[in-house]
Amino acid sequence: MALFQLSTSDDTSLSPADLREENRRLRKICQALMSRVESDSGADGAPYAAFERSVLLAEQVRERTDALHRALDELGQANTRLLAAKAEAEAANLSKTKFLAAVSHDLLQPLNAARLFASALETHALPDASQALVGHIGRSLKDVEGLLGTLVDISRLDAGVLHVDKAPFSVSTLLDALAEEYRQVAGVRGLALHYVPSSAVVESDLALLARVIRNFLSNAVRYTEQGRVLLGCRRRVEGVEIIVGDTGPGIAEQQREAIFLEFQRAPDAQRHHSRGLGLGLAIVDRISTMLEQPVTLASQPGRGALFSITVPYAEATAPPSVPDTARAPRLPEAAEDPLNGSVIWVIDDDLAIIEGMQALLGSWGCRVRAAATVSALEASSDGERPAVLLVDYHLGDHRETGLALATRLRRRYPGLAAVVITANHDAVLSRAAREAGMHCLLKPLKPMRLRMLLVSLLTQPLGAKD
Amino acid sequence: MTTYPANQGTVVVASRSLNAEHAVQALAQDLNHAHLGGVIFFCSAEYDLDRLAAALISAFPDVPVSGCTTAGEITPHGYDRGSIVAIGFDRRVFAIETALIGDLDQFALSDAQPLVDGLIERCRRQALAPVNEHSFALTLLDGLSSREEQVLATLDAALGRIPSFGGSAGDDNHLAHTHVYADGRFHSGAAVVVMINTGLPFEVFSTHHLIPLSHKLVVTEADRERRRVVELNGLPAASVYADLVGVSPNALAPGVFASHPLAVQLGGQHYVRSIQCVNDDGSLNFYCAVENGIVLTAMQPAPLLDDLNRMLQGVTARLGQPSLMIGCDCFLRRMELEAVEHLEQASTLLRQSRVVGFNTYGEQHHGMHVNQTFTGVAFGTLPTFDE
Repeated sequence: MALFQLSTSDDTSLSPADLREENRRLRKICQALMSRVESDSGADGAPYAAFERSVLLAEQVRERTDALHRALDELGQANTRLLAAKAEAEAANLSKTKFLAAVSHDLLQPLNAARLFASALETHALPDASQALVGHIGRSLKDVEGLLGTLVDISRLDAGVLHVDKAPFSVSTLLDALAEEYRQVAGVRGLALHYVPSSAVVESDLALLARVIRNFLSNAVRYTEQGRVLLGCRRRVEGVEIIVGDTGPGIAEQQREAIFLEFQRAPDAQRHHSRGLGLGLAIVDRISTMLEQPVTLASQPGRGALFSITVPYAEATAPPSVPDTARAPRLPEAAEDPLNGSVIWVIDDDLAIIEGMQALLGSWGCRVRAAATVSALEASSDGERPAVLLVDYHLGDHRETGLALATRLRRRYPGLAAVVITANHDAVLSRAAREAGMHCLLKPLKPMRLRMLLVSLLTQPLGAKD
Repeated sequence: MTTYPANQGTVVVASRSLNAEHAVQALAQDLNHAHLGGVIFFCSAEYDLDRLAAALISAFPDVPVSGCTTAGEITPHGYDRGSIVAIGFDRRVFAIETALIGDLDQFALSDAQPLVDGLIERCRRQALAPVNEHSFALTLLDGLSSREEQVLATLDAALGRIPSFGGSAGDDNHLAHTHVYADGRFHSGAAVVVMINTGLPFEVFSTHHLIPLSHKLVVTEADRERRRVVELNGLPAASVYADLVGVSPNALAPGVFASHPLAVQLGGQHYVRSIQCVNDDGSLNFYCAVENGIVLTAMQPAPLLDDLNRMLQGVTARLGQPSLMIGCDCFLRRMELEAVEHLEQASTLLRQSRVVGFNTYGEQHHGMHVNQTFTGVAFGTLPTFDE
C-alpha cells in the first residue's frame, strides 16, 4: 500500500541514486518518529503535547461519563422498580387497613345492639335453663366484642389515626378498677390476683395505658394454669413501673421478640382454649412506641413471666384533672339504687340501639325516653326534666354532632349530665367531650361500664360536674 | 422595547450597517430590556473597532458584553459577511459572567483556577440553577496566537466537569488582525472566557464531515513555535502535499486546503490539522499545533450538508426544537460550501435550527483545539417560566 507515497515505480527499475534518496528519506522519517516517540510530552509544555493531553483527557472523561451515565441509568431503573413495588405494597397495606377498620366499625353497631338486648334479657324472669342460655349468649357476644375490639385497635394503630392524649392521673384510678375486674376473671380460672395499690400520680394516655395493662392481665390469666397473678407498681427514678407478673410457663429467651409480632401466640396456646388472635402484645408494642413509654419483659421459663411498662411521674404542680370515669364506684345497696326512677334521655339514629337501650335502662328501673331527634323526645316527655342524656356522636351525615346537640340541650336544661357515645376511638373526641364537661363512652357499649357511670353521675349533686 | 420569549430567555439581532454607531444602535434598540443580563456578539473585522467599542460601551453600560471578530457571521438569516450579530440574554433565565485573559503567553494554571473560581462564584450569586450541572464556558481566542493549545488545556483543567467550547477569532481570511472583545475594549493576543449558567436544557456539541484515507505523511521537520511544517516524509512539505492532492505547488490555496485536509489520529479519533498558508520556502503553516514526528492522515470530505443535517436532527431529538444555538463554524467549511455552491442550503439548515455564530480560525471543544469542525451549544426551552 502507498503508505508514504515514496516511490511509485517498481523496485527493480530504480537506479542506485533513487535508492540512496529513498534510503535517506526513510532514515529521516525513522528519526522523526523515534524523536517523537521518545519525546517527553509531559514536561516541556509544547503546544502539540498540550493538545494531545487534552484529547486523551477528553477521551477518558467521555468514557467515565458514559460509565457513570450507565450506572446512573441502572440505578434509576432499579429505583423506579423499587418505588413501584413500595407504592404497591403501601396501597395493599392501606386498603387492608381501611377494609379492616370499616368492617370492624360496621360490625360494632349490630353487636352493640345485641349486647344490650342480651343484658336486658338477663333481668327478665326466665326458667333456669333459659337463663343459663342467655348467660352463654352474653358471654359469647362479649368474646366477639373483645376480638373485634382488638381488630379495631390494631387497624387503627396501623392506620396511624390514633392520637396520644396524655394527662396526669393517679395510677390507682386505673389499677383499682382493673384489679377489681380481673380478680373476678382470675377467680373463675382458680387463680389468685394479688394487687398492691400505689398513690403515685403519672402522666400518660389513660385509655391507651389501660389497654396495655389489660392485655398484660389477660395474657397472665390466660396462660397461667395455677398459682397467682400479681398487679403492682415499683417507683423508679424515671417513673412508675407498672408490673403484671404471673406463675405461668414463662417465655423462652428465643421467643421474647417474636411474641410482640402480630398473630404470634405462645406455642401451647391451643391448650388454653384461648380465643385470642395473637394481637395482644403486638398492640402493646405499638402503644408503647406511641406513648414513648417502654415495655420490659423478664421471664424464667417454667417459673413465670413479668411484663411491665414504665410511665413517667406527672409534674408535681399539675393536679389530676381527668374525670374519674375509670373508677369503679362501690355499688350502692339495692334499696337506694339511684338509677331507680331517674329520667334518662337517649338520642340515637339507629332504631335497634334505641330499642336496646330502652330495654337495658328500663331493666335497671330508669324512666327512659329514647328517640332519634330532640323534638321527638320532648314531644314524648311531658315536660319532664332529664337527669342524664345519652347521645350518639354520629347522628347521620347532615346533622349536628352528638356533642353539639348535648351542648345545646345543656343550655336548655342546666345541670344536665351528658354522655357522648361513639365508635370513633380518637382521643380528640374524648378530649373535646371532657373539655365540654361531658363524658365519653366508646362503642361497643359495655353495660356494666354504663351502669357505673350512671350511678356516679346520679349520686353527685347536680351541677358538680360543670 | 423587545419582549424576550419567556421560556427561552434570548433575543438575537443582526445589522449589516458597517457604520459602527448605526449598527450598535440597531442592536441596542432590540436588545435593551429591563432584564437584559448580558450580550455576546460576533462582528466582521471590517468594522472600525475603536468606534465599535465606544458605541458598545455607551449602548450597554451596565451588562457584560463580550465578542470577537470573525471570518464571516452566522445571523438569523444564515451565513453573512460584513455584519454584526448579537445575542441578548435575559437575566431571569441566564447568569452570564465574563473574564479576560489579557496575556495568553503568561497564562498558567495558577491564573486559571482563580479565574474560573471567580466566574463560578459570581454565577452562583445569581442563584439561577446549580452551577455544576447547568453551566458551560464559551471561549473566544485570538485565532492568530500560537498559545491556544496550552491556554485551553490549562483552562480545561481548571473548569473540571464544566463543559466548554469556543472559537478562534477571524479576520475575513486576511490572517493579520484578529480580536476578542471584553471589558469595553478589543484585545489581541488575548482570550475571553464567558461562563453561562442557565436552567434551560442545553447540549455542547462538535461535528465534522471528514473521513480518513489510507495515505500517511510523517512530519520530519517542524517549527513548533510558528506552527510550521518544513518537511513531510523527508521532502519539502508544500511539494509533498501538492503531490498528494494532485495540484501544482503554486496552485495551493485555502480552497484546496479545505477539500484536502490532514488529520492526526488519537485514541481512535481523527482531529483535523488545517493548513493556513504556504510559505516561500516551501513549508506549510497550520492553524494549530504541530510537532516533529507526528503522523498526518490524508482526509477527504463526505457530503457536509448530510453531516450537518444529521447533527441538527440529533440535537432536536434530544432537546426538542432548539430555542437558540451558538455555533463556531470553521471558515474552511464555509469555503467548501461556497466552492460546491451549497452555501444557501446550509444557511437554510442553520436558520431552521436558529443557529447564530461565526466562522472561526479554529474551534475549541472540551479543552481541545480542533479545525474544520462545527462546534457549539444548543439550548432547549423551558416548559414554563414564572414572570
